[in-house]
Amino acid sequence: MPHELEQLHDAALAEVAAAADEQTLEAARVRYLGRAGSISAWAERMKSLSKDEKPVVGKLLNEARTAVTAAIAAAAENLRAVKEARELANIDISLPGTASELGSLHPLTQMLDRSISIFRRMGFALAEGPDVETEWHCFDALNTAPDHPARNEQDTFYLPDGRLLRTHTSTVQIRTMEKAPPPIRVIAPGAAYRRDEVDATHSAQFHQIEGLYVDEKVSIGDLKGTLEFFLHELFGADTQVRFRPHYFPFTEPSFEIDVKSKALKGGEKWLEMCGCGMVHPAVFEQVNSARGDDAYDPEKWSGFAFGLGMDRLAMILFGIPDLRYFAANDLRFLRQFA
Amino acid sequence: MKFSVNWLGDFAELPPGVDDLAELLTLAGTEIENIEKRGANFDKVVVAQIKASAQHPNADRLSVCQVDDGSGQPRQIVCGAKNYKVGDKVPLALPGAVLVGDLKIKPSNLRGVESQGMLCSPSELGLSEDSDGLLILSPEAKIGEPIASLFPEDTILDVEITPNRGDLLSHFGLAREIAALIGAATPSSRMVTDVDQPARGRAGSITISAPNACPFYSARRIENIKVGPSPDWVRARLESVGLRSINNIVDITNFVMLEIGQPLHAFDADKLTGAINVRMAKVGEKFLALDGKTYSLGEQDLVIADDARAVGIAGVMGGEDTGVTDSTKTLLLESAFFDPASVRRTARRLNLPSDASYRFERRVDPGMVLAASNRTAELMREIAGANPAAEIATSGALPASPPDVSLRYELCNEVIGISLPKERIEKILQAFGLEKASGNSAESSWRIPSHRFDLQRDVDLIEEVVRVFGIENIPGRDRSRFTPESEADRGHDFESRLRARLAGRGLAEVRTSKLISRQAAEFENAIELRNPLNEDHAALRRSFDLSLLDVLARNVLGGAQRVAIFEVGRVFIPPEGREERHLGILLWGNSAPTAHWHSDNRILDYFDLKGVIESVIPSAFFKRVERPDLVLAVEIWRDDERIGFAGQIVSERTKTIGPTHPVLFAELNVDSVAQLGSGQIFREIEKFPPITRDIAMIVPENLSHEKILSTIVGANEPLLASVELFDVFGGKQEQNFGAGKKSMAYALTYRDKTRTLTNEEITVVHAKIRERLQRELGVELRE
Repeated sequence: MPHELEQLHDAALAEVAAAADEQTLEAARVRYLGRAGSISAWAERMKSLSKDEKPVVGKLLNEARTAVTAAIAAAAENLRAVKEARELANIDISLPGTASELGSLHPLTQMLDRSISIFRRMGFALAEGPDVETEWHCFDALNTAPDHPARNEQDTFYLPDGRLLRTHTSTVQIRTMEKAPPPIRVIAPGAAYRRDEVDATHSAQFHQIEGLYVDEKVSIGDLKGTLEFFLHELFGADTQVRFRPHYFPFTEPSFEIDVKSKALKGGEKWLEMCGCGMVHPAVFEQVNSARGDDAYDPEKWSGFAFGLGMDRLAMILFGIPDLRYFAANDLRFLRQFA
Repeated sequence: MKFSVNWLGDFAELPPGVDDLAELLTLAGTEIENIEKRGANFDKVVVAQIKASAQHPNADRLSVCQVDDGSGQPRQIVCGAKNYKVGDKVPLALPGAVLVGDLKIKPSNLRGVESQGMLCSPSELGLSEDSDGLLILSPEAKIGEPIASLFPEDTILDVEITPNRGDLLSHFGLAREIAALIGAATPSSRMVTDVDQPARGRAGSITISAPNACPFYSARRIENIKVGPSPDWVRARLESVGLRSINNIVDITNFVMLEIGQPLHAFDADKLTGAINVRMAKVGEKFLALDGKTYSLGEQDLVIADDARAVGIAGVMGGEDTGVTDSTKTLLLESAFFDPASVRRTARRLNLPSDASYRFERRVDPGMVLAASNRTAELMREIAGANPAAEIATSGALPASPPDVSLRYELCNEVIGISLPKERIEKILQAFGLEKASGNSAESSWRIPSHRFDLQRDVDLIEEVVRVFGIENIPGRDRSRFTPESEADRGHDFESRLRARLAGRGLAEVRTSKLISRQAAEFENAIELRNPLNEDHAALRRSFDLSLLDVLARNVLGGAQRVAIFEVGRVFIPPEGREERHLGILLWGNSAPTAHWHSDNRILDYFDLKGVIESVIPSAFFKRVERPDLVLAVEIWRDDERIGFAGQIVSERTKTIGPTHPVLFAELNVDSVAQLGSGQIFREIEKFPPITRDIAMIVPENLSHEKILSTIVGANEPLLASVELFDVFGGKQEQNFGAGKKSMAYALTYRDKTRTLTNEEITVVHAKIRERLQRELGVELRE
């Protein structure tokens, strides 16, 4: 006949196995393993047992306590898992997810970053110059005649001290060449200003990326390859790119670039993207005179320069119909670009 | 400028289709902005003569006309125009005609009076935009003739001429360009100027007192003129390119200007007193111009004067007193060369742009100055029955032809990027009228025609080669290079990380204008522009606060519940406008954009702002200060440098915005922060478990966290790894702390890099810190 403790062991396991909820299980634990529990009571009774009985009962007691403790733990885990599964089975998974405060970068920032990364892949470094410029950096150095209309107060913002707000980022060409000898491979993102009344396509302040590449024997082919690559990267490989001769005082020959792509809004038409050209030798001569050396000898060095209008590019790429959205900063607009 | 394709065709053979012509010019640098079909090619529109006109019995504004349409049957038309008189010849649209805008003409009854057709304005026939009155035809027009024979079909090109190409501002000039581009023979200017050459003489009758501003002046007397309407062919040409016909004399000068590019002016010779003097105006000299306005001139303005007064602003506008009128009998015809810069200055200063100044500013062709006078005289003889003088008075000298330009063939090929044979290059240059003066196999020197003053150096000739060769025939090349990182690269990358982190914190980046309103400029004492465009863009921002408040106001108006924005960009510090790169942050409203079942929502406060700042500058610390614009103000410091400020804007400045949530704003100088953040170095990850113990205490309300923290850290316990404040609640809710008290609870984490800590040793250390807090700060520790 089994020992009384063995019977107790079996009874406890059966009771644990039968426990259907946490309260019943806890009651079983207290009954057997609690301070006054029946298995715990055997530890007291051990003291009064004979020397022969002690090892036998001790072993049984240990076995019972270990087994029942493990059974209770397993049963508890099982009950918890069942409860959890039941709870999860009932949740409404269609409830909205926790709201997160998504921030956003301004579309012009995104446009600039995208453009900069393309030029960086081609080996252009960044350069910068001030928004408030001297007339020399903005016009004289860029081969613009003293009576050129662009210098007029009707077109250019002046400060009381005679300096001006740069009308193009081409000033950074001059700033860069003043500081460093050739070769030069830079792009300069930045703001420029013109005295334009604000409307859907004009703004007093706009954003450009200027580019300057000066080296020995730079050709129109190099200019073309560089800007074709940029535009194809930006608008897709099947974009048509057209160079059209134009006039700028600081480049000769000068070109404007148009693109046409079905992927773009208004894609059945040529869209003007960029002004560019081969650096005019007179610009090198002006830089030399400012540097006081012959570092940019036009007989030895040649180069190309370009200016891309970021506002216009962003309007085309994102399908934004009105320039004024950029400066209004309506969160309903900005969030669309998050 | 607008060009008539028919007119161009008088001088050069054109490509077969207008689209081909447009493409040819566009790809050669002369962009066609618009193409418009013109001409009165309508069926059932004929020349009719108004025989009688009477007031409509039932309508004040209408008249009832009896017209002769050449059919022999009188015809009655109701008409709303007022600009005609009985006897005028006008276009008549007969029933069945279909006019511009698909206007179908039917017999109709207008307020009880029958109308068998319609008398037409120029706009109804698509001849010009003019819809003010009927198109009055010349007396020679044949009654009954189809109108299409008077106004043949034409195409009008709107052409953008770049400022360096003044030589293209005429039909002859553009035709010459087209011929060069397609390699056809250069049209001869004799086609328009092959008339009797007058003798040059009587120079004494003209004085040039300002030879720099007026190198050359010619005047020619034309007698016996009869002022009247122009013949239809002249009118048709002028009107087709957007000019209004005035009278035969004015029309002829305009016609010649559009034909060969030289602006001319006709004075009524009988109204001139004495001889012509081309001089600078006197200071304050008053001048009544043809536009009826009086201009006040200065000594930088060139005028044409007679003995009595100024009679014209040179190259800009003639005078009212000496203009041609219906009674003019004798003309003095001016054809001159004025200095482009001088004309530009005056036209701009007086805000008086004209077709003449536009051309003089871009430099007229010295080779055409006398030819234009001849051509005009000839047309006056032909059209106005005039009698031009046999001699022309001149003074000064026409500018010399541009200097020769030499070109190295190798340079040409280097710039283009492919190798062109020498012969090809030469053929292209010759097509533009350049003549080879000398040369060898490596280079050559070229004589530049008088109309191409823009060709000044080798690269200008190379451009001509490229324009004709076609840039589409030049293959693009990969010229990428290795380039080291620049200072600007590092600055840009820092800024990008800053932006990304702030966007990651849920803030939206904004970009506001660096030009701020005059009102804002006064508020922040910013640098004002000398010539602002308007009051909204009058100065350079020196701070972000007004711009960001403006964005806030607009978004609140748009219904935003939460505005969390930042901007990174340049500001301009007075007085010299030093440019600094700043970061502005503004927070307002709810912590969540919308109410949400699963998220708490509360109003953003100072600590949200501080958290954003700490996320981009972890080592920032904050000092409380007083500022008039902030109700709660702190300075932001890093090491020994003050890098910005933050706080809550006084409600005085925000009350108009809407709901009265706190407006939190911070502005930092990013340039001084830019050196941060790079150069992370690996630190070993802890291998042994930490022990964390809490301390809760009741402290006076004015005891700062900073003080408590420094007391804890000041214990210098080497095992203390970190201290986190995890709970603060104030006396208001918890009455049991007593007035002026708050409860603060900290979690202290202990750790050793080399071993597992025992509870016993931490109990000792922790007790020391508790004791220190009690001793140093007198706090009441809670269990």
